[in-house]
Amino acid sequence: MSNEDVSAVADELRGMLAQVTGRPEVLGVPDGVRLFGAGVGLDSLAGALLLRQVQRRYGVDVAAEDLNLDALETLGTLAAFIAARCRGAS
Amino acid sequence: MIKCVVWDIDNTLLSGVYLESGAELPDADRQLTGVLHQLAARGILNALASRNPPEAAAYVRQQTGADFAAVECGWESKADAIARIAAGLSLAPDAIAFVDDDMLERAEVAARLPDVLVLTPDEAAEAPDWPQFSPAVITAEARRRSQLYAERRCRQAAAAQFGGSREDFLRRAGTRITIGPAGPGDLPRLHELSIRTHQLNSAGQPLTQAELSGLLAAPEYAMITVRLADDFGDDGLVGAAITTGNGASGGLAAPVPAVSLVVSVPLIMMSCRALGRGVLDALLAWLCRSAVADGAAELRIPCLISERNVPMRLALATAGLRAEPASVAADGRAVFSRPLTGELPRLPDWVTVE
Repeated sequence: MSNEDVSAVADELRGMLAQVTGRPEVLGVPDGVRLFGAGVGLDSLAGALLLRQVQRRYGVDVAAEDLNLDALETLGTLAAFIAARCRGAS
Repeated sequence: MIKCVVWDIDNTLLSGVYLESGAELPDADRQLTGVLHQLAARGILNALASRNPPEAAAYVRQQTGADFAAVECGWESKADAIARIAAGLSLAPDAIAFVDDDMLERAEVAARLPDVLVLTPDEAAEAPDWPQFSPAVITAEARRRSQLYAERRCRQAAAAQFGGSREDFLRRAGTRITIGPAGPGDLPRLHELSIRTHQLNSAGQPLTQAELSGLLAAPEYAMITVRLADDFGDDGLVGAAITTGNGASGGLAAPVPAVSLVVSVPLIMMSCRALGRGVLDALLAWLCRSAVADGAAELRIPCLISERNVPMRLALATAGLRAEPASVAADGRAVFSRPLTGELPRLPDWVTVE
C-alpha cells in the first residue's frame, strides 16, 4: 500500500464527512486530528453514517471488522484501514 | 414500530392534483387528514415528500391543520427525499412509512429503500389499527414530539449559522443536561425509550414496564435518568442507564452497601433526538466519575454488537472503553470496559447532577 493510496482515500473521506455532517469546513481537517471528543467533535451518528458511506464506496465494513472502532480515531487511521483492506482484496 | 409517515400530496393528502387545479385548489382528503391527527396524537411524526413547489406544502399544512416534521418538495427521486428526511430526523429507514397513490413512486421507494414500509392511501387509512402504528404507551414526550422536532429544526438552523465549535454552540444555546435518580413516574417514558431506541441502546432488547419497575425497586440496581433542555426547547427525559456493583446507589443519596471493585452498566439507552448534543458523552463521563467516587477501579458496559447500534459503540470507544474481540459471546454481546485511572472523560459544566 502506497502513501498515495492512503492520502487519496483520506481526501475522499473528507468529502464524505462534509456530506454527512453538512459542515463544509471539515474538508480542511488534517489527517491526524481526532474525529470524536475534542478535535473534529463528530457525534456518533455522523460517525455511523460515515461508516455506511465507506461500506458503499469501498465495500469495507469497518463496524464488522473493528470491534473497538479504533480505525475511526482520525481520518488518517481510517484511510489506512480502508487502503489495507482494499489492497488485501485486489 | 413506525416513527414517521412520509406522505405524498397529489391524490393522497389532497383529493386532486395541486398544480392542475387552476383557481379552485383541491380539498384535503378528509379520511387521511383524520389519520394524520390520530398518528400525531400517538407521537408518530408526519412528513411530506411531493413533486410540487413548496407552496403546496404550505397549502396542505393550512388545509389539514397538521404539523410536518420535515418537508421535501421538488422533482427529484422520492427515495432520495425520504433518505434526507430520515437523516434529518436521525431515524432508521425501518422506522419510516411512505404513502403514495402512484404505483411507480411506491415501486421506486420499495426497491431503493427496502426497509421503508410502503403503503397505498387505502392502506394508510387503516394504518392506525395496525400494531406498528400503535405504541403501547403514549407519554408526555410523545404527545409533544412534533413540537420537539420543530424546535430541533430551529436549533439545527442556528447551529448551521454558528461559526464556532460544537461545544461553543451547545454552551451558547444554553444546553442543560440533568442527571438524577429515576422515580416511579418515569417508568412509562423509560419503557417507551426501551422500545424506541436502537441506535443508542446497549442492551438491544426492550424491557416491560413491570421489568423496569422491578429493577427500580431492586436495591442492587440504580436507575439513572438524563434530561435535556436548552433555550430552543425542553426535550424532557431523553436517556437512562442502569448500574450495578458498588455503584448501586449510583453515587446518589443511598449509602454504598458493599464495596466491589467493578461497576457494571447493564443498560444505556438514549433518544436519537439527543444525538449531537453531547448527552451520551456526558452520561458516560458521569458514569466513570460516579464509579470512581464509589471506590470502583473499573467500569464495565456489556453491549450488543449490531449494525444498528454502531453509534452506541462509537460513544463507548470515545469514552475510552474497549472490548476484547475474542470476548464476543454467543449472544452477540461484548463487554466494554475501562480502568478508572488516568484521564477520565470530561463532564461539561452545563451538566447538573441531582
